[in-house]
Amino acid sequence: MRSVTFYIALWMAKLAVIALKVTGHQGTNFPGKVVLKICPDFLRMAGGPEKILGVTGTNGKTTVCNLLISMFKADGKKVLDNNKGSNTITGLCTAFIKDMTPGGKFKSDLAVLEIDERSSRVVFPMMAPTMLLINNLTRDSIMRNGHPEYISRILTNSMPPETKLLLNGDDLIASSVAPANPRKYFGIESMDTDVEECINLVNDLQICPNCHGLLKYTNRRYHHIGRAYCPNCGFKSPECDYLAGDIDTVSMRMKVNGNSYRLLNDSVFNIYNVLAVVAYMSELGYTPEQIEGLLEKTEIVESRYRVEEAGGYRIIRQMSKDRNALGSSRAFDYVSSQPGDKEIILMMNNLSDAAEWSENTCWLYDCDFEFLNRENIRNIVATGPRARDYYLRLKMAGIDDDRISLVDDELSAPEALKLYQGESIYILFGTDSIELSEKVSGMVKKQIESAAKATDAGANTDEGRKD
Amino acid sequence: MKIEVLFPEICNLYGDLANIRYLKECIPEVEIIKTSLQDRPGFLEEEMDLVYMGTTTENGQHLALNQLRPYRQQILDKVDEGTRFLITGNAMELFGERIEEDGVEEAVCLGLFPGIARRSSVNRFNSLFVGEFHPNRTEGTEEKDKSGGEAKMPAGEKIEVVGFMSQFGHMYDVENEGTLEKIALFNSLRGPGMNMEQKNEGIRINNFLATYVIGPLLILNPPFTKWFIKDYLGYPIEKLVYEEAAMDSYTHRLKEYKDPKTGLYYWGGTNQRPAGY
Repeated sequence: MRSVTFYIALWMAKLAVIALKVTGHQGTNFPGKVVLKICPDFLRMAGGPEKILGVTGTNGKTTVCNLLISMFKADGKKVLDNNKGSNTITGLCTAFIKDMTPGGKFKSDLAVLEIDERSSRVVFPMMAPTMLLINNLTRDSIMRNGHPEYISRILTNSMPPETKLLLNGDDLIASSVAPANPRKYFGIESMDTDVEECINLVNDLQICPNCHGLLKYTNRRYHHIGRAYCPNCGFKSPECDYLAGDIDTVSMRMKVNGNSYRLLNDSVFNIYNVLAVVAYMSELGYTPEQIEGLLEKTEIVESRYRVEEAGGYRIIRQMSKDRNALGSSRAFDYVSSQPGDKEIILMMNNLSDAAEWSENTCWLYDCDFEFLNRENIRNIVATGPRARDYYLRLKMAGIDDDRISLVDDELSAPEALKLYQGESIYILFGTDSIELSEKVSGMVKKQIESAAKATDAGANTDEGRKD
Repeated sequence: MKIEVLFPEICNLYGDLANIRYLKECIPEVEIIKTSLQDRPGFLEEEMDLVYMGTTTENGQHLALNQLRPYRQQILDKVDEGTRFLITGNAMELFGERIEEDGVEEAVCLGLFPGIARRSSVNRFNSLFVGEFHPNRTEGTEEKDKSGGEAKMPAGEKIEVVGFMSQFGHMYDVENEGTLEKIALFNSLRGPGMNMEQKNEGIRINNFLATYVIGPLLILNPPFTKWFIKDYLGYPIEKLVYEEAAMDSYTHRLKEYKDPKTGLYYWGGTNQRPAGY
């Protein structure tokens, strides 16, 4: 039941949206703040489109949401989403406000919402997702999220009983959330790169949730992600309703329950993301053919991963989440496994932390910098406010001094590149450094141009001498 | 030299185990013994040069306590006898009297020192820390710790220590006994001590060292680590591994943390203290 206050709040917030637009501000939180100030129960009273599809978890939320939104739009659906805004309650409210008419009707057919896992305790009492995907629960920001067990407890304690869960069956922390809720699991049967023992620094589920004995893993992807069992009490990973197999990163295809789908990226992280999308769409009644058709029309958002060519070099900007040991470990593993020589500009500093206080860098010691200790990574430029911390951590990863450069200012970092012909130059940037990474990328291109000019000039001089 | 790491399968949060990896690099002949929840702690059976336990989850605290509680008296005896312990993060709470969550008793602890850990499941506390360590501290000081004031520690050599705190609670009532200043490990120059009203931080009883400071404490603090390896563990070391890089990082961080312009607390990005702080 909506109150008069609800409508006053809605109209005021809509005025705020208009004001922000007129003044050229982004303001993804402000209208939500306005509406909650006037009507704290706004989200509860608002209801929503027929289906509210939620996505939460530590890593991959944005990618999965963007894929789902893109596919629904390609299918002709009107989608309410928060992909340009915050994933906390104020961001969700802003998304709702923008989608509602002044009379309070929703324009969209369905909502696809990225929901911050820690915010679930304030969001879920107000809004029950029809279906919720939990892609994984791993270590994240030490300051906000503590540890995955804490986040799992928050999700379990706040989960609306009617919400159907779609869970990563290869993640025993994610798959054990809210055990009373209806649920489906997805997972990967096996991959060539699977191991049994953990090679990562972080392994957040080493003991059996039932008897606390040491778990064994049969098919471990990384960290605690994989298929596990307890030799002591028989506990094991759940059987998956959507099981991926025949993963081919050359032809970029995989099979899920026998049906073939396109992969968008060859990282295991993104294979899980596509698998999650396939499972989600299947649960909503889409056929394998429809899903494959819609997948063909989608791409991973470029702001997080972009490849450019310049002067015979590949410049790759890749987001590597700051303060997120597991996310960055995955990025390092992926980069180091790519063929060819490479140099890396390491600039995953959290700039907002640097402005307010000083980043808690404990996560560097949970993160597998050891993946960067490969011969074909010929130079790593540690840069930004925490450059010295990166430098020290890289040394502890066993990387020789002659393969590490330390540059305080990010925009000067390209000057420390050695530019080996034909190599790839990776710029690994943090969540709030997208713009800065673009600038650094521009500086890299200039550096390449200068080097080419210097080489040309040298060649001309040599030719002159020959004459 | 033998270092026993207690319950590394659960006491492994926030980069704490990097301390042990660093010790292994600095002291190549050290033997690391990992004791799991299924095993009886090795230091009860044989002499260890160091017993280490790191930060864990709240459930992990219960599991570790269940393992240690049957040996409570033997553990206290070992501390009396001078066995070396390094305990970081919320593992320190296991050695106080008890843990309470939102006002409800969660666990009875080992009672090595007076103090109640009070935590909230809602408010996560984050702070930077810069403090002093007095290697040659003698038992007993003249003045009691004053609420919110500078802790009074004996004069003499001082080592400045930097680090991070990230936790769900603090220890209280240690000062009720008038003993905290006598048994504190560090005194804070910026950042909280055992709680927001205290400047005395951590516990040092004989060779038992415990602190709320999490993560790579030994890597980030080369001067403290030199004392730790040379004087505390008694291993003759002249130079730490990566000492220049560690000192560069340490000097930079120390200057940053001592700068009053550097914010000290992180309240979930809001810069507003939540209720309870």
